Amino acid sequence: MARKDFLDIASLTREEVHHLLEQAAPFKEVFTRSVKKVPALKGKSVLMLFYEPSTRTHSSFEVAAKRLSADVIDLDVPHSSVVKGETVKDTVDTLQAMRADYIVVRHKMSGMPLAIARQTKASVVNAGDGAHAHPTQALLDAFTLKEVIPEPAGRKVLIAGDILHSRVARSTSTVFRKMGVEVGFLGPGSLLPRKGPAEGIRRFTDFEEALGWGPDVLYLLRVQMERLEVQYFPSVHEYHRVYGVTQERFARVAGEGIYIMHPGPVNRGVELCHEVMDYERSLINQQVENGIAARMAVLYSLKPGTGEGGEE
Amino acid sequence: MDLLFAGGEVAREDGPPVRADVWIEDGVIRAVGEGVPAPAGARVIAAEGMLVVPAMFDAHVHFREPGQEEKEDIAHGSEAAVNGGVTGVVMMPNTSPPIDTAAVVRMLLDKAREVARIPVYTAGCVTRGRDGAELAGIDGMRQLGVRMLTDDGEPVANPAVLRYAMEYASEFGMFFASHCEVLELSGPRALNEGLVSYRLGIKGSPACSEEICIDRDIRLAHATGAHVHIQHVSSGLGMETVRWWKERGARVTAEVSPHHLIFCEDDIGEYDTRFKMNPPLRTRDDNAALLEGLKEGVFDLIATDHAPHTEFEKAQDFVSAPNGITGLETALVSLFHHFVAAGEFGWDLLVKRYSAEPRRLMGLDPVPVEEGRRADLLLFDPAGETTFSRDFMKSKSINTPFLDRTLKGRIEMVVRGRDVLLERGP
Repeated sequence: MARKDFLDIASLTREEVHHLLEQAAPFKEVFTRSVKKVPALKGKSVLMLFYEPSTRTHSSFEVAAKRLSADVIDLDVPHSSVVKGETVKDTVDTLQAMRADYIVVRHKMSGMPLAIARQTKASVVNAGDGAHAHPTQALLDAFTLKEVIPEPAGRKVLIAGDILHSRVARSTSTVFRKMGVEVGFLGPGSLLPRKGPAEGIRRFTDFEEALGWGPDVLYLLRVQMERLEVQYFPSVHEYHRVYGVTQERFARVAGEGIYIMHPGPVNRGVELCHEVMDYERSLINQQVENGIAARMAVLYSLKPGTGEGGEE
Repeated sequence: MDLLFAGGEVAREDGPPVRADVWIEDGVIRAVGEGVPAPAGARVIAAEGMLVVPAMFDAHVHFREPGQEEKEDIAHGSEAAVNGGVTGVVMMPNTSPPIDTAAVVRMLLDKAREVARIPVYTAGCVTRGRDGAELAGIDGMRQLGVRMLTDDGEPVANPAVLRYAMEYASEFGMFFASHCEVLELSGPRALNEGLVSYRLGIKGSPACSEEICIDRDIRLAHATGAHVHIQHVSSGLGMETVRWWKERGARVTAEVSPHHLIFCEDDIGEYDTRFKMNPPLRTRDDNAALLEGLKEGVFDLIATDHAPHTEFEKAQDFVSAPNGITGLETALVSLFHHFVAAGEFGWDLLVKRYSAEPRRLMGLDPVPVEEGRRADLLLFDPAGETTFSRDFMKSKSINTPFLDRTLKGRIEMVVRGRDVLLERGP
C-alpha cells in the first residue's frame, strides 16, 4: 500500500482493506510470544495528537507504536476545543518542528486530520474526527469479524444506536460493505440520518423487526445522552427498553447465536444489559486486542514523506 | 472626452440585444442607433461582436466597514464592484459595530463619498446591535436615506419584534430584507443537511429551517402591510414559498445569488471552505428549481452576497471557517458563462435582474442605454475570457470558488457619466 496517510475507509480500495487485514494477522501472532516487539519502525517517531480525550484509542495506538519499536511522543494539547484563532496551518507549523514521521490525530472537528495531512510530509493517521470517520476502529472491527466469520460476504451486521453522531457507524459500515457484508442500521428515528447512508443499508427503527432480518452480528454503539445538544429520545431508561439489548432480547440474541460487538466503553443498562458482557459470543474484548494489531498494520503500511502533502 | 461605441449591440431588459452604436457626450448618451456618425474629436471604440450593457447594481454586499477592514473596506469593495461591471451597491449592516444608528450611517456615507467611484448605499439594522431585541435608530437612518432594514447574517428571531418593526417602519416607506432561518434548526450553520453532511460528519442545516422563516417573514409582512425582501433564497421550496405568496398579492420581493444557481453541496468535496456560505449550497435539484424561479420571475433580482473573508480565516477547519464567498468580481462573467453562453437565458434577463430591478428596489431609476440618459454602462466581449487570478481581484479577499478559473466573457470597459471607471486593455 503506497499511501502517505490513513484518513478514512471510503477512499480505500477493497484490495487495500484486504492487504491491511492480512498484515494485521502476523502482528497479532507476535503478541503470544514472550518478546512482543518487532523492530519494524525502529528509529521512527510517532506523535500523538489527541485533542479529544480517549483512553482506549490512545493506549491502543501507543502500544501499537511501541511494539513496532517506534518512539512515541505525546503532545499535550488542549482537550476542550480548538484554540480560538489558531488555524490548521499554525498547528502544522508547530508539528513540523518535531520532525515526527507519523502523526496520530484525534479531533472533535470533522476533517481536521485531512487538513493536517494536506500540509505535512508526515504520515497522518486518523484516530477519530468528529462524526466523520474512525478508520482504525473499522479495520479492527473487520479483522474481528473475519476471525469468527472467515468468509463474511453475504452475511449480515446490524449496527444499533446513535447512527447520526457516530463516526464508528460511518467507518465500520463502510468497511463491512467493502467486504460484501450486508449492513442494517437500527436506532430511534431521530438518530438515524434521513438522507445519507449509502444506498443498500437497511434502516430499522424496530428492534424485533431488525432481529427478524437475521443478523449474524449485532454491533452496539455507545449512546451518550449527555453529549447530545438537544433531546433525541425521552430518557436513557426508555432508550434501553426500546433500543437496548434487554435481558429479554438477550435471550433471543443468545438463542440465535448472534455475535455482539461494541467499540467501547459500554454503558451497562443503556445499550446493553450487564449479562451481555459474559456472553460467550461477545467479541468486545477481542476487539480491544485486535485494535493493537490493526493499528500496527496501519502504521507499518504507510509511507511517510510521500504524496502531495506538505511543503518544508 | 466623447465616446462612440461603434458596431456593437445594446443589451436591454425588455428584449434581445439590438444592433446599435452608442454616442456619449459629456457623460450623457446622445445617440443610440445604427450608423451614428463619429462626432469630431470623439474617441471611437470598435465594438463589433461586443455588447453595450447597462451597468449592474448589487443590492447585497458586505464591505466589512467599520470593524473588519482586514477582510474588506469601502475603497476595495467598490473597486471590486467596478471590476465586475457593478456601479452601485447596498452594504449590509452586520459590521462591528453594526450599522444601527444615524451616526454610523453618516460616517460610512461620508467615507464612501471620499473613497468610492460609484454610489454606495447602506442598509440599516432592524434591531440595535443586531441583537433581535430592541429596535435600531430607524428614523435617524431614514433621514440619511436608508431604505432597507435588515439584520442580515441573522434572522430577527423573535417574530413579535419583527412584527412591530414592520408596523413602525413601513409607515416611513422603508422595507425589510430578511435573512431567513430558524436558528434552533440550523445547527452550526456549516452546510446543507443531506448526503454530504452525513458523509463529512458535520451536522447540517436543513432546507426547512430557511423555508419556515421565509414563510414566517412574508406572513408577517402580509399581516402588517409591510414590504419584505427575501434574501439569498437557496432551496426550491423556498422559491415556491415566495411564488405562493406573490400569487396571493403579498408585498414580497426576492433575490437569488449566482452561487446558489451554479454550485451545490457536492462541490464541497473534502471540506473545501470556498464552498461554505449561509444559506448553504443545497442540491442539484435546488439549482434547477432556482433557475426556473429566476426565469419565471419569482426572483426579482440577482444579488451576490459578496462576503469577503481572509485566507487565514478560511484556512480553518470546515465548521470553524466563516460563512461566505466574494461575488462582485465574478458575478456577471459567471452568469454569462453558465447561463447566457449556455443558452439558459438571455441578456434581457441579466439586465432586468442584475441592473434594473435592484435599482428599482432601492427607489432608483434604472440605467438603460437610451438617448438622453446619463451613461452608466459597460462594454462586454462575449468572445473574450476572464481568468480570476489573484492579480485580477481588486477585493481585499479572494475567497471564491472561481479563484484561478477561466470563464467565457470579459468586461472591457465600465463608463459612468464622464468617467471611464475601467478599461481592461489588452
